[in-house]
Amino acid sequence: MPVNAEKEITTLWRNLHTAQNEICKTYYRWREVALEIAGPEAKPLDVALKAAEMMGVDIGKHFLPRLNWLKGEEPFMLNLGRQLAGLWAGEGAVTTVEQGESPSEILIRCTRDPWPTAARQYGVPMEEVALTREKLFQTILVDVSVFFSVPLKIEMLKAIPRGEGEWVFRLYKDEN
Amino acid sequence: MAKQLFEWDYSSYPGAKKYPKLFEPVQIGNLLIPNRIKYAATEDNFNDHTGFITDADVAYIRRRAEGVVGGLCFMQGVYMDEARKGQGYVGQAACWDDKYIPGLKKIADAIHAEKAVAGFQLMDCGRVGAVEVPSGHGPSTVPQRLRIFKPMYEMTKEEIKEMVQQHVDATKRGIEAGFDIIEISGIVGYHISNFISSYTNRRTDEYGGDIRGRMKAVVEIIQGVKEVCGPDIPVGIRLCAEELLDDVRGNTPEESMESYKIAEEAGADYISVTAGWQESIVPVISRDVPMGSWVHLAKRAKEHVNIPVQMAYRLFLPELPEKAITAGELDIWEICRSMIADPLMPKKVLEDRQEEIRHCVACNLCLARLFRDAPMTCYINPVCAHEHDENFFPKPVEEDDEKEIIIVGAGPAGLECAYVAAQRGHEVHVYDKREEVGGTILEASKAPYGDEELMTCINYQKTMCKKYGVEFHLGTEVTDELIQDEMPDSVVLATGPLYPEIRGTVGEGAKIVNVLDVLGGTAEVGDNVVVWGNRKPGIGCALLLANQGKKVTIVGKEKTAGFDVNPSFKWRYMIYLRQNRVMAYNDCDIEEVKEGEVIVKTYDGYRFPLKCNTVVISERGANEGLKAVVQGEGIELFVIGDALVPRNMSSAVHDGYRIGLRI
Repeated sequence: MPVNAEKEITTLWRNLHTAQNEICKTYYRWREVALEIAGPEAKPLDVALKAAEMMGVDIGKHFLPRLNWLKGEEPFMLNLGRQLAGLWAGEGAVTTVEQGESPSEILIRCTRDPWPTAARQYGVPMEEVALTREKLFQTILVDVSVFFSVPLKIEMLKAIPRGEGEWVFRLYKDEN
Repeated sequence: MAKQLFEWDYSSYPGAKKYPKLFEPVQIGNLLIPNRIKYAATEDNFNDHTGFITDADVAYIRRRAEGVVGGLCFMQGVYMDEARKGQGYVGQAACWDDKYIPGLKKIADAIHAEKAVAGFQLMDCGRVGAVEVPSGHGPSTVPQRLRIFKPMYEMTKEEIKEMVQQHVDATKRGIEAGFDIIEISGIVGYHISNFISSYTNRRTDEYGGDIRGRMKAVVEIIQGVKEVCGPDIPVGIRLCAEELLDDVRGNTPEESMESYKIAEEAGADYISVTAGWQESIVPVISRDVPMGSWVHLAKRAKEHVNIPVQMAYRLFLPELPEKAITAGELDIWEICRSMIADPLMPKKVLEDRQEEIRHCVACNLCLARLFRDAPMTCYINPVCAHEHDENFFPKPVEEDDEKEIIIVGAGPAGLECAYVAAQRGHEVHVYDKREEVGGTILEASKAPYGDEELMTCINYQKTMCKKYGVEFHLGTEVTDELIQDEMPDSVVLATGPLYPEIRGTVGEGAKIVNVLDVLGGTAEVGDNVVVWGNRKPGIGCALLLANQGKKVTIVGKEKTAGFDVNPSFKWRYMIYLRQNRVMAYNDCDIEEVKEGEVIVKTYDGYRFPLKCNTVVISERGANEGLKAVVQGEGIELFVIGDALVPRNMSSAVHDGYRIGLRI
């Protein structure tokens, strides 16, 4: 039977998008579970930030074997930026990584993100979506910084959930 | 005058004439060692999970003590803290209390019973420790690169003092147990090395900073241990000559040499040179690293210190240390994996029985098992870990029970079975349709990155078959008629695997060849190759073809390529596949072969084409040939090796040995 490439790719593509949508939805379903168990006293933003922190630490450990300082500062920073962007792209975002003004500065740009859409379905405030992403990236960098003895920082310059049209993160080595 | 514990005279042994340096005495501290051979401390996971020595460990070490023929024999490193943060292996021996002394004494006595020098090693596993507790200790809190290891927490100054005292107390217990020489382990990521390395020691107090600061705790340990040992018991230390941690800003080679000098100044009586950490991304001891590659590190050490220098690390043949010692680059030959594979290796060298040595094939299965909480075993030595069990050694059969045995297949399974059965007194005939012994290893050993060393196993088996009078019938294919004519008492089928046909459609013009023909160089192969089968034979073949400049893709049923290769070696293959741009489609099968293309089907039904002008079959199946006639004639039947279930050389050897004992 000849291979119908269009059919094979279309099926794979649909399944990929379903899986990506489910990542966001599953997270927000678990958020509801956590809030219900935590009770009315718990602040949803605190719960979300704690979740981002725990996930970030775990993801950061996965990054360690894939990074190599021997390749030099610029490739190291670029690779790290690509890892962060790739993680996001796996969830369904459209991301790019650009070199910043110095070798130790990287800009991660996201022009399309499924998270705010999913968040809206579950009634999650948009500011929480923005802060959670920022916290996630920040905590990913904690172990990476210690492991390689490089003071890494990341800051959110723009965020889609804040109505700024795109996400922009600045990843850099903190020289101070 | 230096003290010698046991008298040894090697003058009448041929090996001592062939390797005069290896069997020359050497002085360590005030102790005279009769030769320059050392079984290096090696974890084995044989002990009780609370740290008590078992009979299995005693029997294991006694066999190695016999092997060193009067040289140094070290027991595995002991952990020294009750909190078990220093414990790196579930079966590691403990020494944090006097209650462990009787067990340790059994080890020292076993070594002395073989007239060897008993070595006691102190080993807090530090960064690779805490195997039974949630977190470990170290100079600084540096995250782990490998997730199998526990998180580390920074020690306080008080805890460092306590750790130094633990070394001192453990030394006292080791001496009381009867050991003759003490060694501090400061290598591969263990606690001492964590203090020394700039990668893991980020302290800003007196225990950190420059190399002198990072060595402070080590100096305190050496001095404390030396004080307890006095002048008669030497104290050595194992230290990295190169950490191979440049990617995470580990020590420079200059800093490592500085650590050697500081250790000597502190009173160390010898240095054992090592390379790399568990976390290093550079291969150090696997088969793809040529033998003798690290001798330059011993030479460098000799240029920096005046105390004896020892080293193991891919010195598998006696010629290598003999040459290095003669050249003044090394003082003592350390042996680890080679004596796991053959505990009597140096003894055989001394007796000039080198062809009877079962050589290590540097697969690192022994190490892989330790990190997975399993007792050590050896890929090619079926007796390893069973030294305490007399049933694992060949026993002569009664005269009435002697059998005539036909073994079909002269591969690793058949040969192993043949010599063991013959050793026990059976009449053994080995048949093979080829003119040469070795089975599929003849071709497997043609794969790149050190696989030629696999043939050492076959060479050993050949020697043993000759020694025990096995009769070979090479170039003879065993048929139903031959079985019926000979009517032996037992038949062992060790015929190797069958290579199945592709299940899908095979169109005209498709070129399909067998993996053995490709490895053997007798098959013509195009430029775009698909290797069907993602186990070791497929990987070896793919790498050989990729090295020839061909575009190679692997398609196989297993969920990961190299499923049958142990993890301590598999990472090497994964890197070589990437470097050679070999793509592996795992959990897939070939659905169709056409001229110029194959259709691959994933486990969940997706299909895609691959450009291909040659398909190499490396998938394997069990071989049931001859089974019916043997059973039909009522002859005792055994099926071993790949003929039973296609696996690896290790399974073939272990199958062969066990059936050789049973038959």
